[in-house]
Amino acid sequence: MTLPLNELVASVERMAKVLAQRETDFARRKQEARRWLKEYADQGPVLRTAAQDVNAAIPTDEPLDAVVPTPPVPDRFTVVGADGSTIPPDRHGAALYYVINIGSLVYRHGSGERPQARSAPFLGYEQKDLFEGTALVAGNLLDVRRDQAEIEHLAERVEEEPKGPTLVLVDGTLLLWVLENLPPEAEGREKKVRRYLGALDRIREKGAAVAGFISRPRHTEVSRLLLLAHLGGDVERVRQAERGRLPLPDRAVFADLPAGARSALFASPNKINQMYASAGHEVWFFYLNVAAEGEEPIVARVEVPVWVARSDDLLSLVHAGVVAQSRIAGGYPYVLARADELAYISGPERQRLQEMVETALLRAGLPPSLSPKAYFKTLTRAGRRW
Amino acid sequence: MSETRIPVGRVLRASNRGFTVGCRVMQPDIPAFGSFVRADARTPDGAIYGLIYDVTVQDDLFVRRFVMVEPPEEVVRDQRENRQVPIEVSVLAVGYRTGDRIVHAIPPQPPVTMDYLYPCSPDEIVAFTRRFDYFRLVLDAPGVPADELIATSLLAAAAARPAEERMDFLVEAGRELTRLLANDLIRLDGLLQRIRSATE
Repeated sequence: MTLPLNELVASVERMAKVLAQRETDFARRKQEARRWLKEYADQGPVLRTAAQDVNAAIPTDEPLDAVVPTPPVPDRFTVVGADGSTIPPDRHGAALYYVINIGSLVYRHGSGERPQARSAPFLGYEQKDLFEGTALVAGNLLDVRRDQAEIEHLAERVEEEPKGPTLVLVDGTLLLWVLENLPPEAEGREKKVRRYLGALDRIREKGAAVAGFISRPRHTEVSRLLLLAHLGGDVERVRQAERGRLPLPDRAVFADLPAGARSALFASPNKINQMYASAGHEVWFFYLNVAAEGEEPIVARVEVPVWVARSDDLLSLVHAGVVAQSRIAGGYPYVLARADELAYISGPERQRLQEMVETALLRAGLPPSLSPKAYFKTLTRAGRRW
Repeated sequence: MSETRIPVGRVLRASNRGFTVGCRVMQPDIPAFGSFVRADARTPDGAIYGLIYDVTVQDDLFVRRFVMVEPPEEVVRDQRENRQVPIEVSVLAVGYRTGDRIVHAIPPQPPVTMDYLYPCSPDEIVAFTRRFDYFRLVLDAPGVPADELIATSLLAAAAARPAEERMDFLVEAGRELTRLLANDLIRLDGLLQRIRSATE
């Protein structure tokens, strides 16, 4: 064993105590936040500018404490979900390449038909695939490419669909937030966002609704908005109050939503959202209890572009569709669970692909060779160590 | 070996005594208990014959979420037709072929991983069951429902023959079983009953 567990025993014990203490603090603040939600329910319009300044949820026209029950589900509607996974480029491997695999499922509610499953892999190996300027496409850059591949795959699948109510589900946020962390030499953010928004345009043109589903969200934007309301809209006092303490997660505030009900709509304060807004795709969101009647609440965050939020039909389809999907397997949309399964690249598959690459290199007259570092890893990690 | 019939699946693990094959649930011809099957042997003109004695649908955590509730038809079809949940087919080796010669004995070498397993054609079943030496391998095999396996395989072998030959074939097989199980009349009686009730 190389992880000396005995040296961590005391730290683990301390951690458990700290977490328990935090939970007690959160329970108190949760009650406080729910009280504020009611107390300042109609303060939305006056808080908008200040909310943007402190990265708090931006209120829309709905009262902050709005609770909307599940709208009726259409007899027949289609849900298309996609997810992606990657094999990042390995500088120490036999060849420099990456893989993006997109899995998707088209599920026609009420049809009794077999859902259509698909896995679409892409191998990036050319100079233009592998580098943006001098930066290797890995980490955040690869994540952005995967997100783009997901949304473009979804747009393609929606375009193949016959007319009718269609809901497109993305696993995770609609906002390419990772772009904020990109190194300066990376190709322009705007270009990447435009490409993503181009796919949203295609979905909108087909008349479909699109939503991002975030399971167990860690966002704290609404709880910050409530603090802002309580402090009279004073941005400076909010910053001071938050100093040195963990913000309360929004999902705790909305854990009392009845089964199937959603919260009010808010706009995301994320900086990237301004680029979305200028193209007509500003991202709004709501919280939703996707648990079945009588079960423990499961609060998810659902993001939608503003054109979905402002259409009663599309918003109802997102709300009812996500609830219907989440109740199939319990707490998470069925199409996304299956899309993840269809995208997932297992260890043996990675190994097989690596062998395929090495064989192809040999056939092309290139003896594959690992870097010394990778070679020694194959020796030290292959067997049991004492 | 050239083969036009659909393979049952590919070998997952093997020994001389038997082997296990993985195949997909969605396969049209789900292999049945007691069926004669064949895997290619290591020699070019050789084959290994076996009897399917167990078909197991593998456990799957995702499916577990649905078995207790009544899932929509779309989910049932997705789980059955799209998802690659493997079934494991266990095979008892009962003989092998080298050239035209069929031997009822443990094959000298097992098939190797990823080899295909094929259902035997009626002609192959007839050729293999011209003798009954394989009975002893089945009766002595540990962990195998031997009596059920012999009865089911004999009925399959009878069905592979022309109708007028079936009864003679089963009577002949019964004689051989009587010889082998002369010391265990209760077991013999049970086995013969099984065969008789299926032919009535």
